[in-house]
Amino acid sequence: MQNRNNIDDCKFSIHRTTLANGIVLLIAENPIADIIAAKIFVRAGSCYENPEKAGLANLLSAVMTKGCDGFSSLEIAEKVESVGANLSVDVSTDYFLLSLKTVSADFAEILALSGLLLKSPTFPEKQIELEKRLAIQDVRSQKEQPFNLAFKEIREAMYQNHPYGRSVLGTEASIHGINYKDLVEFHQNHFRPDNIVISIAGRTTAKTAIEMVTEVFGDWTLPNTARHALDLPKISIAPKSCLQPLNTQQSIIMLGYMGSSINSPAYPVLKLLSTYLGNGLSSRLFVELREKRGLAYEISAIYSTRPYPASFIVYMGTAPENTSRAIKELGQEVERLSQIELSPEELQTAKNKILGHYALGKQTNGQIAHIYGWYEILGLGIEFDHEFPQLINQVSPELAMTVANSYLKTPYLSLVGPGEAIDLTTA
Amino acid sequence: MVVADVWVRAGATSESDPLFGMAHFLEHMIFKGTASLGPGEFDYNIERMGGISNAATSHDYTHYYLATANHYLADTLPHLGELLLNAAIFEDEFIRERDVVLEEIRSCADDPDAIGFEALLKTVYENHPYGRPILGTKKELMENSPEAMRCFHRRHYQPENMTVVIVGGIERDTSWEIVNKTFKNFKNQDDFPTSNQLAPPQIRDVKRQELILPRIEQARLIMAWNLPGMEELAIANGLEILSVILGQGRTSRLVNDLREEKQLVQEIYTNFSVQKDSSLLTITAYLEPEYLDRVENLILEHLHRLQIHGVTEQELKRTQRSLCNDYAFNTETPNQLASLYGYYNTVAKAQLSVAYPEQIQSFNTKKLQKVAQNYLSLQDYAVTIMKPY
Repeated sequence: MQNRNNIDDCKFSIHRTTLANGIVLLIAENPIADIIAAKIFVRAGSCYENPEKAGLANLLSAVMTKGCDGFSSLEIAEKVESVGANLSVDVSTDYFLLSLKTVSADFAEILALSGLLLKSPTFPEKQIELEKRLAIQDVRSQKEQPFNLAFKEIREAMYQNHPYGRSVLGTEASIHGINYKDLVEFHQNHFRPDNIVISIAGRTTAKTAIEMVTEVFGDWTLPNTARHALDLPKISIAPKSCLQPLNTQQSIIMLGYMGSSINSPAYPVLKLLSTYLGNGLSSRLFVELREKRGLAYEISAIYSTRPYPASFIVYMGTAPENTSRAIKELGQEVERLSQIELSPEELQTAKNKILGHYALGKQTNGQIAHIYGWYEILGLGIEFDHEFPQLINQVSPELAMTVANSYLKTPYLSLVGPGEAIDLTTA
Repeated sequence: MVVADVWVRAGATSESDPLFGMAHFLEHMIFKGTASLGPGEFDYNIERMGGISNAATSHDYTHYYLATANHYLADTLPHLGELLLNAAIFEDEFIRERDVVLEEIRSCADDPDAIGFEALLKTVYENHPYGRPILGTKKELMENSPEAMRCFHRRHYQPENMTVVIVGGIERDTSWEIVNKTFKNFKNQDDFPTSNQLAPPQIRDVKRQELILPRIEQARLIMAWNLPGMEELAIANGLEILSVILGQGRTSRLVNDLREEKQLVQEIYTNFSVQKDSSLLTITAYLEPEYLDRVENLILEHLHRLQIHGVTEQELKRTQRSLCNDYAFNTETPNQLASLYGYYNTVAKAQLSVAYPEQIQSFNTKKLQKVAQNYLSLQDYAVTIMKPY
């Protein structure tokens, strides 16, 4: 079977330019709909936090839209909602992100507001207190979902003191300890032009977009201090089991293997193997454990694209009485990858699947702006959009088995379920 | 890229006692093949070409969806047609897949918000099908049989119940040809009991229900109004505008007052959804249990104010603009469009979907105030409260 994936991958010419102050600007001209989306990435994810202040970047994202030079929280909300725009701020481990989407005519105005938020947030004391309380409640609410409980345990076991081991939300205690001064300091240290990528897609031209962005962000001066360099703790690999008895209807089973970062040659191989195992209705886990054996409804694999080693996780929910069997069979499916070479057809199917999904994930202006901005902030550059399919296509069955042998051997186990199911498993 | 989305008027409302959960279980069984197409073969064929497929069941419909490169439509749609028209519903596959559906039910039982919403629907709709869980219960599934399912299939998977939507980079004539060839030989229609279509009940008084749940970290308050459905779409659109003014976005009345100013709730939002025979407006708050009564009363005060004073010009303008923009944001891609047209054509007419922005623009403050007075009753509503154990 040939590589026959060709979902028409809309080709946009991506304009890339750097402003005098160091801001990188990417523009995808896409005139189809009367919409413009922008994604503004900042090198200020939770990885940049001091562990004692875990949750700081997340709190900053909550408070950022609640006061800036000249506008109160309600005025900011009114400016956005009165033109029916979308504006949101999120944080992940690796970056901080402000997203906006408007009809074309309103874009300049909302971009200008976004500039104010990013450059001169005021962090009103009352808003800090409110958002801290809500964030603490958010941490507690995570415990309501068995999946989250299982994931938290495996993440902590796999990453120890590395920031990938922590929730971006932080802990009750760490959020408690965050104050105004911490927010100001974190903002000053990390929100600087050379830490920023602005990615725009939609009905505009490169020329107009450059003018708009320069108008809003051109006056942001570059401090003469050096950019903060990350120095993260080492991750040691020591697989173990985390068992949490809980009175649930289903057991959640999670097996975790330490994978590689996006910069490693193993990255495309692991990406492909996780697709082979757990992505789609014809994936190996879905067919073997769900369709042939009826052991699960939800069963899947997760392997994220990250600048530091990413966990490779397979998980499923199953009836308590099937727990032991499911752990065994789930583990065997991953082991199989190290023991038997995938057939060329299996591998080609997985390649077509991953590249097809990749193309389908670049449809809306928001998605297009996101993917280019993300590659840029990760340091891969927008060329990675073309390199990714090549990397995937180069994976051979031998290489897949070699990589499985070095990465997918002994798993961490996280199990959440009724006590009796856990006892049977460990007996 | 091209999307094919097949909508069938065969959701949970088409089921009859005691075989509830049938429509959803059948959706699973459709993928288990026919005499000429093995289990999973369709999924494999789609995915090995880089496409995707999926399906979903609700009260008014079940729909089946595929997205693929333009030139594969001629190869893949006939297979989907084969599955839909000639589902074999093999006995052994039926028994195996039942375990999968039971896992799906178990996983919902571990989700407190799913439990709360199911309880709310039951309170609002009582014995009307909208009040039943789409998945059915274990007992109902165990009473089902491959033969009953085949009858249900032959009864409902018929041309008059189906809408095929094609959106994407393909010529109209080409897609006509593929669709006509694919959806041709339907099975003879079976005489199978269908549900007796009662109108959804009116809520009288406050129908209150309290659930005490282990493992929840904060309480929930969900208030609901059972309102006119697709047949009175103009009213439903007015109610949607009101729902945004009340509880969507930081400037909305409830969010501004209860989350930002009084700080009594972790989160509060309204949701509005239109079904064929009813629409449902809900107000959901996450909060500490000691504020439950106070927040419910404050919400009622807001509704009261809405009836007495109406909405401001500014609120109306802002909401109209935001709903029309959301409509534009939600019709960017072929799958969004296919889904919109398919849904409207299944519960009403596809043409209505394009009239939406104009409909939203046609409201003035007077008209909205009337809708609030007539439909958002302070005496008749349902409320489900969830408290930590």
